[in-house]
Amino acid sequence: MTTDKATSQAQRSRPETLGKRLLREHAEVALSSWIRLWRTPITNLLTWLTLAIALALPGTLIIMLNQAQGLADQLHTSNQISVFLSLQTSSEQAQAVAQQLQQRTDIKQVTFIAADTAMQEFSLASGLGDILQNLTDNPIPATILVEPQLKSADAIGLLAEQLRQQESVDQVLIDQLWLQRLQAMVHTSQRATWVLATMLALGVLLVMGNTMRMQMESRREEILVIKLVGGTDAYLRRPFLYSAIWAGLMAGSLAAIIMTLALTLLQPSLTDLASSFNSTWHLHNLTIWHWLVTLFGSCGLACLSALLTVQSQLRQIQP
Amino acid sequence: MIQLEQVSKRYANKTALDHANLHIPRGAMAFLTGHSGAGKSTLLKLIMLMERPSNGRVIIDQQDLSKLNGNQIALHRRKVGLVFQNHQLLEDYSVHDNIALPLKVSGYNNLDAGRRVRAALDKVGLLSKEKQLPRVLSTGEQQRIGIARAIVNKPRLILADEPTGNLDPKLSAEIMQLFEQFNQVGVTVLIASHDLSLIERLPHPKIHLHQGHLSGAFIGSN
Repeated sequence: MTTDKATSQAQRSRPETLGKRLLREHAEVALSSWIRLWRTPITNLLTWLTLAIALALPGTLIIMLNQAQGLADQLHTSNQISVFLSLQTSSEQAQAVAQQLQQRTDIKQVTFIAADTAMQEFSLASGLGDILQNLTDNPIPATILVEPQLKSADAIGLLAEQLRQQESVDQVLIDQLWLQRLQAMVHTSQRATWVLATMLALGVLLVMGNTMRMQMESRREEILVIKLVGGTDAYLRRPFLYSAIWAGLMAGSLAAIIMTLALTLLQPSLTDLASSFNSTWHLHNLTIWHWLVTLFGSCGLACLSALLTVQSQLRQIQP
Repeated sequence: MIQLEQVSKRYANKTALDHANLHIPRGAMAFLTGHSGAGKSTLLKLIMLMERPSNGRVIIDQQDLSKLNGNQIALHRRKVGLVFQNHQLLEDYSVHDNIALPLKVSGYNNLDAGRRVRAALDKVGLLSKEKQLPRVLSTGEQQRIGIARAIVNKPRLILADEPTGNLDPKLSAEIMQLFEQFNQVGVTVLIASHDLSLIERLPHPKIHLHQGHLSGAFIGSN
């Protein structure tokens, strides 16, 4: 009899250890959830894209602002003072002022930019060369960049005040001031980005929760039968958790790709912007670390949402 | 095997069971009769823990069901094979996968589950249909698949709720024969049915349910 043979064979097969059994069950469910994803590829792809965009938007902003913060910090260490001389000052006079400043003990370094040099740089950078050549007078003053010996804001303020008293000095700008403004702007943007990120993370939770609810609704009959033949909540939860993990990984990967593209597009114009501030700063693209954070974050959000939804749905679906 | 002690089940506008006592011994086969809506399904649901009694105790295999919660409910259900009138097969699962469900939830691997599924299919005479989808099978065959799923875990108790409800007399008789075969190897079988013409011809004790009261065989006196 085939039956007897089959039964005796079944009895002979070696029992698994609990750990092995769990590992096998999880592997089976992970695989079957993966296969199930591709039964409705378009629907799933659209969900993943929705999640990916919600993740990529704050992600891109956070990466950019963190780097801008780095730039602001780096600039902050230079306490440069720009001294603009009056237009009437001759080139010789200007050089004399620069030399005189160099003698001072409270000044570390002096860089002199003659009016003509400044004009040449400006006409090159602005592309207005022809128009500027027609001007009879050079509208750009000679500039002296002063690097103070002391770094404290008070000492710099005092030095700036003294420089302002100097003959033939028209205007004195402390770079720190606009740096402070830049930093304040970066800080505000960072705050705003975190608020945005929190709201979008909530959006991800809701979208994922809704997806889970729809998945469970479409498998309602299956859940009922499994409950009746003795499936535990853990058993019933498993396929949905794995589908959330897969969705999280897919959405996270798509988000990382979107972020890479966005940063690649922004890179050239930001580098130009930075170079206009005489900085060699340029935007770095996603590192492996960013990829990992995006993938784990996305997976974590998806799992959290699935755990919350699946548990409450399982309680509602009763035979 | 099945013991009801002063069990009542009241719904908002009707009483399905009223202080019912019952004691079906291990290895027995019995019919639960009564017109539709008399509360036969309610009694089976109490045994499956799909419902809880308003009063009294349900004891299955010496276990008081009122004490079971969470995962214990699932473990209890694994010990009972349940056959439905509408067989409750999953349409997008093959015959094999439908029958394997009770084994998968208990953690059987594919190899062992496959052997047991084929043994169960062999018992209901449908070994050749293993790979098909339930919808291509006849009603009688679908019911047999439902029975195969109920027995695949080798339960000591089988409950059937109107298992011949949709079948012609010949097929019904065949299904009853199947239940008798399981009973002969020691499985306790309780079949709820209002098909009196069929069950009167069979030599098994009958329990009658009418307006929440039980009468007939196995009725306890406490």
